[in-house]
Amino acid sequence: MSEIIEKFDQNFITYVQKIAREGMYNAAVGFATMLGERLTVTEPVLKIIPYSEIPDLLGGLEAEAVGIYLRAEGSIPSQFMLILPFQKAKELVDLLMDQPEGTTQQLGSLERSALAEVGNLTGTFFMNTVATLTHTELRPTPPAVMVDMVGAIMDIIVATSGEVGENVMMLQASFELNNRQVQADLWIIPDATSLNQFVPRSKA
Amino acid sequence: MTSPQNVGLGELIISRHPEDILVAYGLGSCLGIGMFDPVARVAGLLHAVLPESSNGDGSSSKYVTSGIKNLIEGMVKAGANQSRLVTRMAGGANMLVCVSLSQAFEIGSRNINAAHRTLQQFNLRLAAEEVGGNVGRTVKLYVVTGKLTVRMVGGIEHEL
Repeated sequence: MSEIIEKFDQNFITYVQKIAREGMYNAAVGFATMLGERLTVTEPVLKIIPYSEIPDLLGGLEAEAVGIYLRAEGSIPSQFMLILPFQKAKELVDLLMDQPEGTTQQLGSLERSALAEVGNLTGTFFMNTVATLTHTELRPTPPAVMVDMVGAIMDIIVATSGEVGENVMMLQASFELNNRQVQADLWIIPDATSLNQFVPRSKA
Repeated sequence: MTSPQNVGLGELIISRHPEDILVAYGLGSCLGIGMFDPVARVAGLLHAVLPESSNGDGSSSKYVTSGIKNLIEGMVKAGANQSRLVTRMAGGANMLVCVSLSQAFEIGSRNINAAHRTLQQFNLRLAAEEVGGNVGRTVKLYVVTGKLTVRMVGGIEHEL
């Protein structure tokens, strides 16, 4: 993994930030179409953090969270995980379903569908932007939504990438609709293999 | 005064201190395998991530197969007798229930199979297990009694 960490230089971060911004902008357009109202996504901030720090930022390994997982097949196989603390996920559902804050108490099938759509739009538009900018082909899978402990959700990334203790990319953004704002830390965690392939192409 | 010891990904901890509680938090597809020698009062907990190494790195506790071997060796080194080891395990969930994704990533089931196979090789019988499904679990092993507990999200801690 050390080889990949070295590649997280400023140029790379700036490049990915550009992709993230375009991807999030496109995602917001998608949301707006879905909701019939104007939804904005504030400028996303991209950070590189050690994988091991994620649980602390989300309230601990046992804290309840929502994970939205997508894979991309194509010339750069990759996986994306969006993890939201449980409370933030409920706020986001209220925002998306135009309900007063605090309405959503549980995440049933309807609420999970709404969150899956968040993952779908965010992930898909992000991937489309990456594909366009890097002249590659990416086909996202349907999203899977999990409500569970942070540690259990993160196991998926570790289990599928086979890596432990690596750095990951984290994207922070806020969704704003009709003067209501939900700060959602969206975690985009590309696996080591795809990132390795992505870096040379992105710099080419 | 109890003292929780966090057993992280791919780690194992062996303890003889009665005040210690060995904890693997939020296991998804990972397995928590606990061993206890009731005579020597030695306890050990493994937090294994993947079934077995695919690149020849056969010594890491990250893998179920080599992790179990390391756990047994560590327990014996700490004074336990292999024939007295009481083994319990929990975890191995298949977290992705989406049809298009789950089949490709049944890491949880593969971890469980690898554990059964490896324990059999060492002639160790499982005293209890709570594995599979699609829910995360926190596993605690109390060194003082050898009690192993499991807790799921929103649930209460229960003894296995």
